[in-house]
Amino acid sequence: MNIPMSWLREAANIDEETDIFLEKMTDAGNAVEGVTRLGEDITGVVVGRIAALEKHPDADKLWVTQADIGTETLQIVTGADNLKLGDYIPVAVHGSTLANGLKIKKSKMRGLESNGMLCSIDELGYTAADYPEAPENGIYVFPDFDAEKFPLGSDARIPMGLCEEVVDFDVLSNRPDTNCVMGMAREAAAVYGTPFELSAINLKERGQGNTADIVSVEIRDTARCARFTARVVKNVKVGPSPQWLRRRISTAGLRPINNIVDITNYVMLEYGQPLHAFDINTVAVKDGKHGIVVKTADKGQKFTTLDGTERLLNETNLLVADHEKALGIAGVMGGENSMITEETTTILFESANFDASNIRQTARYLGMRTDASARFEKGQDPNQPPISVNRAMELVELLNCGEVVPGVVDVYPVPRTPKVISFDPTEINKLLGISCDILDKEHIRTYLRRVGIKTREAACVAASTADMHRRPHVRPEAGMKLEALIPTFRGDITCAADLAEEVARFYGYNNIKSRYAQAVDGEAALPGAGKTPRRRRQELLKKTMAALGYYEAVTFPFESPKALDKLNIPADCPSRQAIFLKNPLGEDFSMMRNEHTANGLLECISRNYNKGNESASLFEIAYSYYASSLHCGGDSASMSELPMELPRLTIAAYGTDMDFLAFKGDIEELIAALTNRPLIFTPHRTRPYMHPGRAADVAVKTSPNPRDTATVVGFLGELHPAVAKNYEIGTKAYLAELDINLLHEVAETYTFKFTKPHTYPPLDRDLAFKVQEHVPAADLESAIREKGGGHLAEVKLFDVYQGPQVGEGYKSVAYSLRFRDHNRTLAVEDVSKPLAAVLQNLEAKFGAEIRA
Amino acid sequence: MIEKLNQLREKIEDALAAAKIPSAVEDLRVKMLGRKGEMTLLLKTVGSLPAEERKEMGKKANEVRDWVTEKIEEARVRLEAEAQNAALKSEAMDITLPGKRRAQGRLHPVSVTFSRLEDLFVSLGFDIVDGPHIETVYHNFDALNSPPTHPNRDESDTFYVNENLVLRTHTSPVQVRTMESRKPPIRIVAPGQTFRRDEIDATHTPAFHQMEGLVVDKNITFGDLKGMLEIIVRYVFGEEAKIRLRPSHFPFTEPSAEVDITCYSCKNGLSKSSALDCRVCKGSGWVELWGCGMVHPKVLEMSGINPREYSGYAFGLGIDRITSALHGLADPRLYFENDVQFLSQFVG
Repeated sequence: MNIPMSWLREAANIDEETDIFLEKMTDAGNAVEGVTRLGEDITGVVVGRIAALEKHPDADKLWVTQADIGTETLQIVTGADNLKLGDYIPVAVHGSTLANGLKIKKSKMRGLESNGMLCSIDELGYTAADYPEAPENGIYVFPDFDAEKFPLGSDARIPMGLCEEVVDFDVLSNRPDTNCVMGMAREAAAVYGTPFELSAINLKERGQGNTADIVSVEIRDTARCARFTARVVKNVKVGPSPQWLRRRISTAGLRPINNIVDITNYVMLEYGQPLHAFDINTVAVKDGKHGIVVKTADKGQKFTTLDGTERLLNETNLLVADHEKALGIAGVMGGENSMITEETTTILFESANFDASNIRQTARYLGMRTDASARFEKGQDPNQPPISVNRAMELVELLNCGEVVPGVVDVYPVPRTPKVISFDPTEINKLLGISCDILDKEHIRTYLRRVGIKTREAACVAASTADMHRRPHVRPEAGMKLEALIPTFRGDITCAADLAEEVARFYGYNNIKSRYAQAVDGEAALPGAGKTPRRRRQELLKKTMAALGYYEAVTFPFESPKALDKLNIPADCPSRQAIFLKNPLGEDFSMMRNEHTANGLLECISRNYNKGNESASLFEIAYSYYASSLHCGGDSASMSELPMELPRLTIAAYGTDMDFLAFKGDIEELIAALTNRPLIFTPHRTRPYMHPGRAADVAVKTSPNPRDTATVVGFLGELHPAVAKNYEIGTKAYLAELDINLLHEVAETYTFKFTKPHTYPPLDRDLAFKVQEHVPAADLESAIREKGGGHLAEVKLFDVYQGPQVGEGYKSVAYSLRFRDHNRTLAVEDVSKPLAAVLQNLEAKFGAEIRA
Repeated sequence: MIEKLNQLREKIEDALAAAKIPSAVEDLRVKMLGRKGEMTLLLKTVGSLPAEERKEMGKKANEVRDWVTEKIEEARVRLEAEAQNAALKSEAMDITLPGKRRAQGRLHPVSVTFSRLEDLFVSLGFDIVDGPHIETVYHNFDALNSPPTHPNRDESDTFYVNENLVLRTHTSPVQVRTMESRKPPIRIVAPGQTFRRDEIDATHTPAFHQMEGLVVDKNITFGDLKGMLEIIVRYVFGEEAKIRLRPSHFPFTEPSAEVDITCYSCKNGLSKSSALDCRVCKGSGWVELWGCGMVHPKVLEMSGINPREYSGYAFGLGIDRITSALHGLADPRLYFENDVQFLSQFVG
């Protein structure tokens, strides 16, 4: 909320320097978004008086003026026609700066010296809306100038009201009472510990008759309208407001319109209470009175608001109506049919209290948020309406724009009284951690009194007295309860913790002593605290990925449904099912990541590739979101249970050093960091975005029983070239998706017993043979291990060759076999038998031919 | 005999002087002292000398042999050292040539911040816990005492899956889930991704990261909260960093506070004039970092903890903002772009 500092100073009687004042307000919870210093860009403009005025001898349209600025008289040439002798005007002297950054310098105009400039509103950065008295094309002339208060040569910005510090306070959502000048002034007074009271309103009430004889008010929906207060002003003279009022309204951010509208806006800014003015002649008369009825609209009722728009209402929208028709949408906007016009002579002022959530719903339903609805929907004090409407009447009399009719019609079926909170002041000490020696009961009462909360000693209950006798070590006052009377404008205070905050705000959050003991070694430090084994393992996964050369990525969990098309997932594939957001930031962010987690990283890979990065290796641990019901054809819009969120490790890479085997090797290393169980790779067939001939399922064999199947933890391989193209990746890219929970499960089967390192040197034998090219390496290795005997420790493939020397359809493979024994050095004779058996097996199974 | 010995000795001296490489010395040793070496053969003739000469000559011959052995050994050591020096000299490399690097990756900067903070909290006896991203309206709002009319619930602010489920807007629902399932004393932090319906721009991303902290026990005070905040800030930003608490409002804490730290960009407090132009703190000298407060008694009660017996505090650390503060980063979109040129800069 924007508040002109001069207004706040006046309301709270503050003369502290602005910066210090605002720092103290901030420390009490009234944070400042910013301060705008109006008029700061204008320098060197002073008050002057036209001492002489004559036509320019050589130019018909120019005048030569002598402007008296106190210390000297300046000759200034001007083109304006609106000046006369003795006018007080703003004079920009040589070297001054105007609103648009224009520098004023001495010059000659048609041969005559001009030592400055006489200013129009325009040149000072304002418009006729700010200064309606200013001529359309001419120099601004001060109206009713007070020459004693503002001497010649003094800063012209001051009488123009141009110098103002406007403070943008950040109003907390639970403190609508501070969303006005008086509310902030109350806070300011509490900060300084000075008394704050709203000034008494004195009305002359010169209007004819009595309000109660002119107006009747009936509230038919007391749940949605707690109070309706009405007053009447006769013989209204609609016209511009005086400059001080216009300046206050416009610096606070509202546009001055006319005195009546400006008064309602002024009171809204001052007290936070929205008012509304009706032309009383538009309110139908019943039983001799203009009858106001507050009721809900009919479903489908149409109503034109004063902005000329027809609105379609529903049965929860509250109306201010008469006995025949609607006059306005309560708390949101008045009707076109009852608005103030130039013909208006008698006005009915409404100052009412409406239910916050109803106004909020109505404003949302109608898609219109007005200054009034914005305030009502935060919650208003039902005890405010008469004060505000009387303040408006006071302004009507001050501005002399009408005759206030005596009396108020005030319908308030269930008056709200201050809430009473009974509390033990030591609870506040306990919660804040301030001892009773530093902050005693009386201090607490004083702090509360500052914000208008009165306290009293609670009636002593007999039981508690008896209790005190049983525990004589308790100081009698320690158990003494207080009762706090919470003013109705503080709807946010409902319990002792709220009172503690009020005390703390003015005691000073920064004065509360920090305590470290509890943080460092308090009794609450639990044994066994920290990270679960799965969290630690997940960290290990990340660190291993980084060590293997991969960068960790973070992507949004919501993506475009088109991602599934890019991944070539067929239109009818059940795996396309996903959870959709009801209100996404556009379609591109509408689908929660489903079991196909690749898209996020592939987009990143594409971005890296298209930026010209030579290589990129990325991984991400991110969630797949599954609705269990979705797989039975459900729809996320009606899902009632929490979906499953399964963490998956996605890995993607491209680059000159990257190929299928390098990528596969990285994943083997990764899994080796979790478990010593063997991995089994089988061709992967299911994901349409993988290269059909270069993708593998990754399985971990957790059981030594050969009949048990291995756990498939994910897949890896080359990205399908068509998919790479969809992502605009112009090179081979590699992709893996691994299920983190399955990785945990296989890792949890790891039971490790160490083997003694060998003391005796190994015996190595190489084996080279020719087989048909389609025979998988994994099968050859199994065949070798099968017959390798007890001494065979390692089998390593070290060469694969295809070419003319081995013939079409064949490949030559070379293995290195390492034999070891824990108790001796093996001799060639020890391995000749198993070697022969291996060769025989290879020959029998695959028709292998031994190469020399 | 003596003459022969002397000749041999001279011959060896000359040969040693001429030897340039260790193998020449070895050759000489074999030629002289080997089984059939000249010196060996000469020495063998001592046995055939008359007895009275034999003793004298034997002694003499042995002296010469020892001398020769020693000289040869000396020459060998010298030449080997020379050879090695020469080899070392020829092997000298341009040590400014780039190393053959095996590229490492890096953890994401946000991960690094999470992990640093997790280290702190584990050392302080906290459990690290997780909560779902897709959360019930009850846990995200209702159980945190957020009134039904709170603007944060608007569809313009919060992502909805349907009327009962949202993408969590903060990590605070983990507080509720923890209190529902555990009895005090409770000390947890809950790191994770959170979501708000902000359009992507230079200061907003619809996903960001938080770490929730919750402590519930007997006699927990606002002073304990302040102590903890100071520990966190000093741990993350160093000993000089100061905090300021401002009263604020969160539905689930009372009293509530915003935590500001001294501006890490202009280091205000030291120089007010430089702060005036500071884009980070807009001249105030302070930067808002995160919210905190004492757990609202209604929140404790709704989660089944007796507020008359227990009290607690909670805080929600903004991880992206801390990370940006540490690295002088202005645009949070970079965190989600995953450009390796960006990711490769962070250590940790």
